[in-house]
Amino acid sequence: MENPVGDIPPFEETPFLEEIPFYAKQKKIALRNCGYINPDAIEEYIARGGYFAFLKALHEMAPAEIIAAVDASGLRGRGGGGFSTGFKWQTCAHHEGERYIICNADEGDPGAYMDRSILEGDPHGVIEGMLIAAMAIGSEQGFIYVRHEYPLAVKRLVTAIRAAEAYGLLGDNIAGSGKRFHIKISTGAGAFVCGESTALMASLEGNVGRPRAKYVHTVEKGFRGSPSNLNNVETYANVPVILLKGPEWYAEMGTPKSKGTKVFSLVGKVKNTGLVEVPMGVSLREIVFDIGNGIPGNKHFKAVQTGGPSGGCIPEQFLDLPVDYEKLAEVGSIMGSGGMIVMDQDTCMVDVARYFLDFLKEESCGQCNPCREGIKQMLDILNGICAGEGREGDIERLEELGGMIQKFSLCGLGTSAPNPVLTTIQYFRDEYEAHIKDKKCPAGVCKALFHYEIDDSACTGCRLCALKCPQEAITGEKKAPHTIDQGRCIQCGICYEACKFDAVKVK
Amino acid sequence: MVTFKINDKEVQGEAGEFILQVARRYGIDIPTLCHHDALEPAGMCRLCTVELFDGRKTRFVTACNYPVWEGMAVYTDTEAVHEGRKLIVELLLARCPEVPVIKELAGQYGIDKPRFKGEQDDCILCGLCVRICEKMGNSAIAFSGRGVDMKVDTPFHVQSDVCMGCGACAEVCPTGHINLEDISAQKVAPIPSEYDMGLKGRKPIYIPYAQAIPNTPAIDRDVCMHFRAGGCRVCTEFCGVRAIDHTEQDETIELNVGAIVLAPGFQPFDPSKNGAYAYQRYPDVVTAMEFERLLSASGPTQGHLIRPSNGQAPAKIAWLQCVGSRDIHSCDHGYCSSVCCMYAIKEAVIAKEHAGADLECAIFYMDMRTHGKDFESYFNQARDRHGVRFIRSRVPTIEWAEGQQALTIPYTDASNRVVRETFDMVVLSVGMETPPEAARLAETLGLNLTEGRFLETPTFQPVSTSKEGIYVCGAFAGPKDIPQSVIEASSASAEAGALLNDARGTLTVAEEIPRERDVTGERPRIGVFVCHCGINISGVVDVPRVRDYAASLPYVEYVADNLYSCSQDTQEIVKEAIQEHRLNRVVVAACTPKTHEPLFQDTLKEAGLNKYLFELTNIRNQDAWVHKDHQDMATEKARDLVRMAVARVALMEPLEEYALDIHQKSLVVGGGIAGITAAKNLADQGYAVCLLERSADLGGQARSLFRTWKGEDIQARLNDLIDAVTSNPLIDIRVDSRIFAAEGFVGNFKTTIVSDNGREETVEHGVTLIATGAMESEPREYAYGDDPRVVTHTELDQRFIAQDPSLKEIQTAAFIQCVGSREPQRPYCSRVCCTHSIESALHLKELNPDMRIFILYRDIRTYGEREYLYREARKAGILFIPFSVDQKPHVEATEAGLRITVLDPLLGEEIAITAELLSLASAIVPSGDETLARFFKVPMDGDGFFVEAHAKLGPSEFATDGVFLCGMAHYPKPIDESVAQALAAASRAVTLLSRQLIRMSGMVAHVNPALCSGCGVCVDICPYGAPALLAEGPFSGRAEINPVLCKGCGLCVSSCRSGALNLRGFGEDQIMAMINEI
Repeated sequence: MENPVGDIPPFEETPFLEEIPFYAKQKKIALRNCGYINPDAIEEYIARGGYFAFLKALHEMAPAEIIAAVDASGLRGRGGGGFSTGFKWQTCAHHEGERYIICNADEGDPGAYMDRSILEGDPHGVIEGMLIAAMAIGSEQGFIYVRHEYPLAVKRLVTAIRAAEAYGLLGDNIAGSGKRFHIKISTGAGAFVCGESTALMASLEGNVGRPRAKYVHTVEKGFRGSPSNLNNVETYANVPVILLKGPEWYAEMGTPKSKGTKVFSLVGKVKNTGLVEVPMGVSLREIVFDIGNGIPGNKHFKAVQTGGPSGGCIPEQFLDLPVDYEKLAEVGSIMGSGGMIVMDQDTCMVDVARYFLDFLKEESCGQCNPCREGIKQMLDILNGICAGEGREGDIERLEELGGMIQKFSLCGLGTSAPNPVLTTIQYFRDEYEAHIKDKKCPAGVCKALFHYEIDDSACTGCRLCALKCPQEAITGEKKAPHTIDQGRCIQCGICYEACKFDAVKVK
Repeated sequence: MVTFKINDKEVQGEAGEFILQVARRYGIDIPTLCHHDALEPAGMCRLCTVELFDGRKTRFVTACNYPVWEGMAVYTDTEAVHEGRKLIVELLLARCPEVPVIKELAGQYGIDKPRFKGEQDDCILCGLCVRICEKMGNSAIAFSGRGVDMKVDTPFHVQSDVCMGCGACAEVCPTGHINLEDISAQKVAPIPSEYDMGLKGRKPIYIPYAQAIPNTPAIDRDVCMHFRAGGCRVCTEFCGVRAIDHTEQDETIELNVGAIVLAPGFQPFDPSKNGAYAYQRYPDVVTAMEFERLLSASGPTQGHLIRPSNGQAPAKIAWLQCVGSRDIHSCDHGYCSSVCCMYAIKEAVIAKEHAGADLECAIFYMDMRTHGKDFESYFNQARDRHGVRFIRSRVPTIEWAEGQQALTIPYTDASNRVVRETFDMVVLSVGMETPPEAARLAETLGLNLTEGRFLETPTFQPVSTSKEGIYVCGAFAGPKDIPQSVIEASSASAEAGALLNDARGTLTVAEEIPRERDVTGERPRIGVFVCHCGINISGVVDVPRVRDYAASLPYVEYVADNLYSCSQDTQEIVKEAIQEHRLNRVVVAACTPKTHEPLFQDTLKEAGLNKYLFELTNIRNQDAWVHKDHQDMATEKARDLVRMAVARVALMEPLEEYALDIHQKSLVVGGGIAGITAAKNLADQGYAVCLLERSADLGGQARSLFRTWKGEDIQARLNDLIDAVTSNPLIDIRVDSRIFAAEGFVGNFKTTIVSDNGREETVEHGVTLIATGAMESEPREYAYGDDPRVVTHTELDQRFIAQDPSLKEIQTAAFIQCVGSREPQRPYCSRVCCTHSIESALHLKELNPDMRIFILYRDIRTYGEREYLYREARKAGILFIPFSVDQKPHVEATEAGLRITVLDPLLGEEIAITAELLSLASAIVPSGDETLARFFKVPMDGDGFFVEAHAKLGPSEFATDGVFLCGMAHYPKPIDESVAQALAAASRAVTLLSRQLIRMSGMVAHVNPALCSGCGVCVDICPYGAPALLAEGPFSGRAEINPVLCKGCGLCVSSCRSGALNLRGFGEDQIMAMINEI
């Protein structure tokens, strides 16, 4: 019998975690406990220094000191807006009324699961962050608004809240201080827009989750018309570490305006996918090529889309851009909650824009005209372009609509919705023009705009393609070049994938 | 106060206001689709997006919900804003290509056809309906679905039980998308307007009708959404003066009073109780009240006469009289409602005026009762000139066949044939009845009701009830028309005034007026107040612009604009401004001086200014209301008007008002029942009276009358009355006297009386009451004078009074009506004779129950509850035979008796009656003469009756100030009505006497004696005798104006050749100053 672990290299050759390229450039703060502890065991959390920051805040720090520390750390909202957390807390504490601490765990970006991982892997980190915020702001009631699609996260949170209550860290008379703080969990029902703060609060109140104008800030009049402090999961998870290690330590990381680390969900056409937590200011190239280890299949990097569905697509020329809030905005994208989708040469940028816009059309709440009607019409134009019905002026119409939607929409979802379209037009205008003028999809994605042909000179007549073709559209004698019957071909791309000699060409 | 800039112009708003509110106040247009003043702004349509510069960067914000803050800079119409709005409109046009409001907007933005994929929707998802429904406290509708699938819907897409059908959603919907029938499970109907008889809807907040008192809106709690659903209260936000308080409760107020006057009125009979006329089944059968509304310019159809069933103009209309009157079969109303004949004629005439002469009008009646003053001639005109058909027939039913458009009326015509005639509309002339709550009130007060459930009153005290101190007037004391109600109202106040005479003046509070500031020598300091009048003016005229313009005019020291210049708080503001800025002239640019000038003048007085230093210029009725469609030009005109007013007021001088004592004595001319009653009441109210009677005795016609229709002994009551006035020291009785001359005017009459013995005496008095009465005319037909068995009413009554035993022996007696009345040479109805004949006939029956009695009549006019007497007479076997004016009965005196022949229309044959007694209902003719009319400058009509100031509203007074009218000198009338009018005249006189002095206007003519040439033209031309040429002094021979007599008409000023005359307050310089400013 063969030794099942026979080919494992000797211990000395096994690299440390830090030596593995994927981990080498990461700095785990928000994800500090994920994978290291049993999330259902509060003791393990405490054993790794958990709740020490809270107890320090509770017993040794005045609310103003806590806020000052958070402010000095330079921590900015990790949900996407990037608003200064310390300033937000201060403003909220300043307004009179029953104050609420709310945790936004309605992570809805497709392919992003930073918050979910934290909730599932380290629920106490979030609870402790909320507790500290409660002490700083003066709140006795907290809510975690979490998506119904995260059942494990909900389960872990419930367990964690019960455990914290049992330990006297949550509830009435916390740690003998006489102070109270309760946390309730509220599950959302799958509306992307409920990640928007005012929509979230409306949903939390039991109303339909639709945003309202934020000319009066939620820190003044939020949930139930009371001062409400809303941060997302990752933001809260950062707070205990800041208090424990000090704001100076935290502020040393990052760029002048963006401090600390950010968790990204690195997905798409990249070899290493997964959550990565890196200090602010790390370049896109480092993330994609060092941590992500580049593009698989020797394909060309084409763009990276950051910030979720309403983020922008950043082309190759900006690969050395240091990632922080301002720099991303400068190139037309956003930090968002940390989605990062890598695209290669086979990605059609028009199709990408269409895909995200389709998502946003479905998720638009519908109450304001620019977003509801504008996205619908933009999508209609994009659908037309992808179907080969693009007309002269479509690009300009898209730009015009996009510009108006950015300026005139009610909420953040609306104002950022045109980003995927506008950035792809900005950086890949030629692709759009190819679609419209030449009726070609260079990446071979938009089926109406290309066909497959077999290059006679490359085809060896191996018959593999003909065997795999579901339409039986490929004919040819063995060892002789094959041909595709365009009338039968449905552009499924199986032959293209199957050919070992690159003889199937996109035309 | 927050100061910031809109489009680089400095503006001010209150903290908490939004940009849109402030912008609109400053007249800056920002388009909106989802905004409604009653709702929290939602910022959904995004059309109101503006650019905001916060000192560092520019942002796009929605004006509707962005709060203003100090120092911000807003740009409402930059290119980016304009382009964005245009694109939104284009998107909406693509969505809703057929919605007018969107098409209009698109037109404004120059969008012809959207460049985007079109749809066919009619909802722009502005959410107004959803938000207003929530605001109502209901939330029966909401948005369902998300994004592109969003729509307005009810739960589960079914009709909602929650919806109360208030219609607010449809009301606010800008596109017409809302269909209430899709939303509400219940049938949605407008709230029927009580005033418009349910022919029109009304709002939950409403003023019952335009002339309602108080003329303030009330909330109908039964339909108000706040009281039904707990929400709304939109009205409180719209009310500029915060006058609405939903928490207010009904409260019980206790008053200590010395007298009570009951005037609860009547309600029209509800014909739905009378199934026969199918009032509720056929929409084209309407009540007369509904028809009134259909004819009214303020009614549901703006006065266009239409059939309710199909909205078409009717070609033929029938009126059915006596619906709910003179009917003891389908209801228990045995009485006549008195007014319906007249109103039916009026409606028919007006209907023809509205719809054209081709409209056919027919009135079905039993007896045509046009017994009021001038009513008979109106009836004749309706028939002869307007062609209204009068058909004497009691209609049994209205028939209607399925699928048929017309209503069929079967009736018997003059020749007793049954005719079936079709009409497009039938008007039911419904009668009056006492409302149940009024009957309950009588019961609570322990007052007696009559058979017809009206309040019982005695003939000689027609407004007194069975309890002392409780008086009644109007239809609660029996069916009656407006003049009689108005008379009784004054009567009741006269009775209460006499009862409470000792308390007169004990509750009055003297007005405190500050000393008038002397403004002589001051340069004009003018304050200009421009009124918004809610939105009446500011909806058209740019009020702030007019205000700012006024500030630039010469002498203007202070300007302000007010929401309502006439409100109490604004008066205080005006007062403060006068004092603070030492203003000495005031201009208010608002509404009409006719209604509001005295109010502002009082404010000036309270601020210590002479009230003539004021000018009210009408920028509402004469500007905003008439130039709605030309706002810029209206603003321009308002500026012109204000400029003219400022020019005029600058030249205004303080004017003096002359006060004149009112002589506290009254002269009553005529010593009949009316004169005696008036004198007695005046004395009871504490005023001295001179009672003048031409004959040797007081009592007049009543001296020869036997019994009232209610059965009271007239002689006994009359003697009581005469005793009361002869024993009253305040009453100076002059019998055998007549007026020789009269001069003077209101407050200061001088009348010379000559007695039969030739003694001449001048009486000074402040008021004059004319009660010269009327008398029975001497018949010239029916063998009167030829045969002693033919008598008149009073002659018969005198035999009754004398208890003539021969009357019992009579076997057959007859009465002939309308002897000399209702004939071409004397067209009026003498009003009292029908009742008198029946009463006499019944007395004859009492004397001899076997006596055969015939009453030959044209129309029996036993109006009101006199109808019961008619019923009693028929029951007693008295026979009534109608005749027409062209086939009058013939009387022949024979040995056997008086042979009376008449054509009986029922038999169609002539019948002959042989009677031993024939009583003629001879016409009543006035006894006043033209000399009297001349003495007191009062008019007489063609029949010789005096003409009152106003047929309806001034029945007991003359147009000449200080002269009053009562009794039969006005028109023939029974005792109760004479007494009522006498009390009314006394009451009207006391309102004048009690003032003790009258103020004359300060706007009187004035002579500059230095310029006067003494030509005397002014003296000749003045209708009031105000100018006179001075007899002595330095200006002897020059004219002088008596300011007390001057009415300020200006005739003398315009006729003065020397330019010596000037009208104070309307000087030539002032008029020229205004003209020069145009």
